[in-house]
Amino acid sequence: MARQGDNLWYKDAVIYQLHVRTFCDSNADGIGDFAGLTQRLDYLQDLGITAIWLLPFYPSPLRDDGYDITDYASVHPSYGSLEDFKTFLTAAHNRGIRIIIEMVLNHTSDQHPWFKEARSSRENPKRDWYVWSQTDTRYEGVRIIFVDTETSNWAWDPISKSYYWHRFFSHQPDLNFDNPAVLEALWEVMKFWLNLGVDGFRFDAIPYLVEREGTPCENLPETHAIIRDLRKRLDLAYPGRMLLAEANNWPVDIRAYFGDGDEFHAAFHFPLMPRMFMSVKLEDRKPIIDILEQTPEIPDNCQWCIFLRNHDELTLEMVTDIERDYMYDEYAMDTTMRINRGIRRRLAPMMDNDRRRIELLNGLLMSMPGTPIVYYGDEIGMGDNIYLGDRNGVRTPMQWNGETNAGFSTADPERLYSPVISNAVYGSQVINVDSQKRSEHSLLRWMKALIQLRNSFQVFGRGSIRFLNPSNHRVLAYVRQFGEETVLVVNNLSSSAQAVELDVRRFKGYIPIEMFGRNLFPRLGDLPYLLTLGPYQFYWFQLRQI
Amino acid sequence: MRQTILLSLEQAYSNLVHMIADFLPRFLVMLIIIVLGLVVAFVLKYILRAVLGLTKLDRVSEEAGASRLLRIAHFPSMTGLLSRSIFWVTWFGFILIGLSVLGVAGLQGQISRLLQFLPEVLIGILILFLGLMTANFLSRTALLAAVNAGHPSPRILSWSIRFVIWILAISMTLEELGVARQTVISAFSIIFGALMLGLAIAFGFGGQDLARKSLERYLGNTTKDKDKEPQPL
Amino acid sequence: MPPLFVDDVVGSFRIQQFESEISRALAENTFLTDDLLRQLMGVGEVDLLVGISSHGDASTTSHTLRAIERSFQQYFTRQRAVIVDVCGGGKDEGGAAAAGLSNVAEKNVRLAESASLRTVHRVTGDFSAPPSPGMALRTILAAADLLRARACAVVSPGTLNLAPDWIANLLRPVYQGKVDFVAPLYTRHKFQGLLARTLLYPMSRAIFGCRIRELYSDEWGFSGRLAAVCLNQDVWHEEPILTRPEAWMAISAISSDFRCCQVFLGQKLQSATGSGTNIVEVFRQTVGNLFWCIESHQSAWLDGERSKPGQTFGPDPELTSEPTDLNRHRIFEMFRSGVTELEPILSSILDLETHAEIKSIVSLEENKFKFASDLWVRTLYDFVASYHHTVINRDHLVQALVPLYRGVTFSFLVEHFDSSPAEMEAVSEGLCLEFERQKPYLKERWKAKVEVKS
Repeated sequence: MARQGDNLWYKDAVIYQLHVRTFCDSNADGIGDFAGLTQRLDYLQDLGITAIWLLPFYPSPLRDDGYDITDYASVHPSYGSLEDFKTFLTAAHNRGIRIIIEMVLNHTSDQHPWFKEARSSRENPKRDWYVWSQTDTRYEGVRIIFVDTETSNWAWDPISKSYYWHRFFSHQPDLNFDNPAVLEALWEVMKFWLNLGVDGFRFDAIPYLVEREGTPCENLPETHAIIRDLRKRLDLAYPGRMLLAEANNWPVDIRAYFGDGDEFHAAFHFPLMPRMFMSVKLEDRKPIIDILEQTPEIPDNCQWCIFLRNHDELTLEMVTDIERDYMYDEYAMDTTMRINRGIRRRLAPMMDNDRRRIELLNGLLMSMPGTPIVYYGDEIGMGDNIYLGDRNGVRTPMQWNGETNAGFSTADPERLYSPVISNAVYGSQVINVDSQKRSEHSLLRWMKALIQLRNSFQVFGRGSIRFLNPSNHRVLAYVRQFGEETVLVVNNLSSSAQAVELDVRRFKGYIPIEMFGRNLFPRLGDLPYLLTLGPYQFYWFQLRQI
Repeated sequence: MRQTILLSLEQAYSNLVHMIADFLPRFLVMLIIIVLGLVVAFVLKYILRAVLGLTKLDRVSEEAGASRLLRIAHFPSMTGLLSRSIFWVTWFGFILIGLSVLGVAGLQGQISRLLQFLPEVLIGILILFLGLMTANFLSRTALLAAVNAGHPSPRILSWSIRFVIWILAISMTLEELGVARQTVISAFSIIFGALMLGLAIAFGFGGQDLARKSLERYLGNTTKDKDKEPQPL
Repeated sequence: MPPLFVDDVVGSFRIQQFESEISRALAENTFLTDDLLRQLMGVGEVDLLVGISSHGDASTTSHTLRAIERSFQQYFTRQRAVIVDVCGGGKDEGGAAAAGLSNVAEKNVRLAESASLRTVHRVTGDFSAPPSPGMALRTILAAADLLRARACAVVSPGTLNLAPDWIANLLRPVYQGKVDFVAPLYTRHKFQGLLARTLLYPMSRAIFGCRIRELYSDEWGFSGRLAAVCLNQDVWHEEPILTRPEAWMAISAISSDFRCCQVFLGQKLQSATGSGTNIVEVFRQTVGNLFWCIESHQSAWLDGERSKPGQTFGPDPELTSEPTDLNRHRIFEMFRSGVTELEPILSSILDLETHAEIKSIVSLEENKFKFASDLWVRTLYDFVASYHHTVINRDHLVQALVPLYRGVTFSFLVEHFDSSPAEMEAVSEGLCLEFERQKPYLKERWKAKVEVKS
């Protein structure tokens, strides 16, 4: 466990991602709130996670699940008050849990006072806080991100009779970072939260901050300059706080967001995520190996964040057409499951509720290089509802018990912000925290043990990775090393038992200790090390030299 | 005088009786040996037939061309021939042993020499037979190869090979039988050496043109002319 | 103590033979080396297997490998696939030595292109000397059986223009479950492949009832089911199987009622070291092989029916007719001299009437010469029957057919020098029908008692 005052705490963290709205409702209005979340902190502490990433909880018309912000320095009344947040923050810190919040720099809601001012007249001082044009032909050729709903990156403002630029929904106008005032305003916002004590920000939609003619308007040098500026200010005034980038790009492009260790502390490794799912379906390690071999080295003080699922669709932007078709055919045969070049399903349903595959994927998540992020509900194997609009099917209420509203709220069921999953496989009567707490061999217990094991070793978060490439392509094996810690991880990606011979000559003389059961295995030597694995089984071996 | 004659007659008669009495047991033993030999020969014949049947000798013999030779000679199949041979050889051996038991003066020595000579005769027959088979096979191989390669005189080549192997086989057979050993060896060496020397002289000196043309023809067969034949596959 | 009874002797001999068979069987079962087995373990179950059956130089083999990999990329992106390179462990391949796992891993070729979803394995055999074609095929069949491959193909580095779509065309019908054996069809010159057109194809068609033109080719496809059946047959020590196993495999498929088809590939370019032009050797490997197959599969065809048209995928094969430079006079002379010189041999093979007819056409002038189809068919059937009865050494018998084939070739060249490809096809079809018409004659000769000819 990272020590207090350790500026690299994010390398050892296990992050839990949740939306306060989904977690626990304390005031029976059908919407989760900070008071309810505070009540559930013991659960999270018991689970073993060390940081919480909160999805946007700011005042918002909620047309994009809170990413359309109308007030950066407040809390949406549905979720409580600023005081409630402060109480939550203190309680979390008391339990050793850090808090990471969203910072949506790229755009605001069109209901934000800044935009209301900006659109009121062309002479308004805040006019230049957004990107305007008399025509919709500027920045031609720039791709549209929400292809299912938007047809252009320009929207017509009937009030000021001009177009404004938006990379996301049309009700989310992009801020103009060519105006220094914008950056200063946002820095003030950041300082507000930092002064309250938040431990980090997840910057949403970071590649799109700046536009330039004749470019794809993504990942521009000016964007990096802005990040460096913010990082410098942060390090000076608030050392030990973390910036996490959301940039859905190829690893070589994401690498730029680390700079020389002077931009983001961490970034999501988007391309790895679909390939983990692909590898399990193909029963072939090739997709994982290929993408990690393409992943460049990053500065020592930087970190990848890896994840299986999140609040968005499982994005298939960073894959080839063949790979996308394969993923659709295997994981989203029903086209209702598809949205925006992605798949809007949760982990457990994608794994057909196969406990072994769920465990395998979580094992990969916890052992691959990077900081793992667990999406709320995946620790108990929650299901999804693909018939809810947009991506709301993966944002249903947390299932605490088998009673009314799954213990999420005491409000009338009709009042809930979203219906609780109620089918025979994933319904709250079957999948819930209470029942899994009572079972010794539940997924929840297993996840707790897994996280605890991971927290016991720094090698997973900070160590190097070396792939062993045995001839059996169904087995993914690698060695993690950090200081004196050496861990051998062997994963059977296939649905049938496998034998594998590993070339471990460089570790000759080490004794493998299976980490879950602490049992000794035969010493490693010159000869190929034979292991047999059951379907979807994996081993973590601590290699000790005594 | 009459008594002397009667006495002599009586003695002669007695001698005859003794001789017959002395001869009859040996004769009986000879018969027993011969009959026993017949039984043993039959047993060996059937054992060999069974054993050779398992080894599929007839098939091998067919492929080697030996069975054809046998059919031409109105012999039975190889298995039949060998098993019958072993029958006769075994029985003949027992007959000779039986005859030797008779104790006829001089006969034993002859029989003994005959028994000693018998294996050589068998080997000689075998050498000759194998030689004929080999000559047949190799000459036919050469004939076919020469014909298919377009050689101008395939039969000469084939007969040459057959002749050489016959000479070799006959020489070896006669040597095995011990018939005029020195003469045979010398004659064979002379003939064979002369043949080789003659060929060397012919091709090396007197037949330069012929050798050259033969070589050209041979080389022509393997390159130029082969190109003018359509590819079979 | 010598055995007293015949049964004891025979019995003890049988026991020895049985033990010897067991030892031989065990030794045969271990023809797969440990290294190869280890590589197969690493591959696991596959959908597709492509075997490279023969030895090529580094450049031709690498071209073949690339064609196979591209085929997998373009046509079978989702399928689990493996390449079995039987001769890949040889020195001039630069392949790694068999020892050690790092070398085993290096033998696996993973595609760098992101178009491929899966690892494509390459398994290499590690023979000290290039294996015979039969041993190579046996290794490929064993790999197919062990890996439970659904569709397989065999290709050779000798085909210089092997294309990815060729491999796909060989695999696809099998993978789709339509057939178990796929034979190729090529664009031919009208005078190319005459042996196949005048002997191999029509004879096999008439006897076995299935119309496969290219019995002796360097590439073909087959199912895992067929591979298992062929692998378990006790033929792997036979000389014809060691030298040219492909026709046997096709005939085994036909005889065992597996579904067969042909697929058109295109024009084939052969390397210089490919199927040779030494006609005697070709005869040994093809005609001798076919005769052996006819002999060993006699139970399948003696009561068989007329041939039935099979499936063909792709366009009909073309016959081209560019000018050629052939020495017809020489061919005729070789026929005439061959028949004359081999008269004693031919007399022991051919029926009296057939032999007399051949002697009569030998005396014809070159410009009046014609080798009639019915005579040719009868000649061939006499040869096959004599092969069955082993009237002479079988290898000699096959060689004795060469001059007669030359006569047929000459007759063919003269008659059809100006014929169009369509006319040639009609002639070929006519010859096939003649073979079928005279099949009862073959059966009669086959079953007849052998008469000795002096």
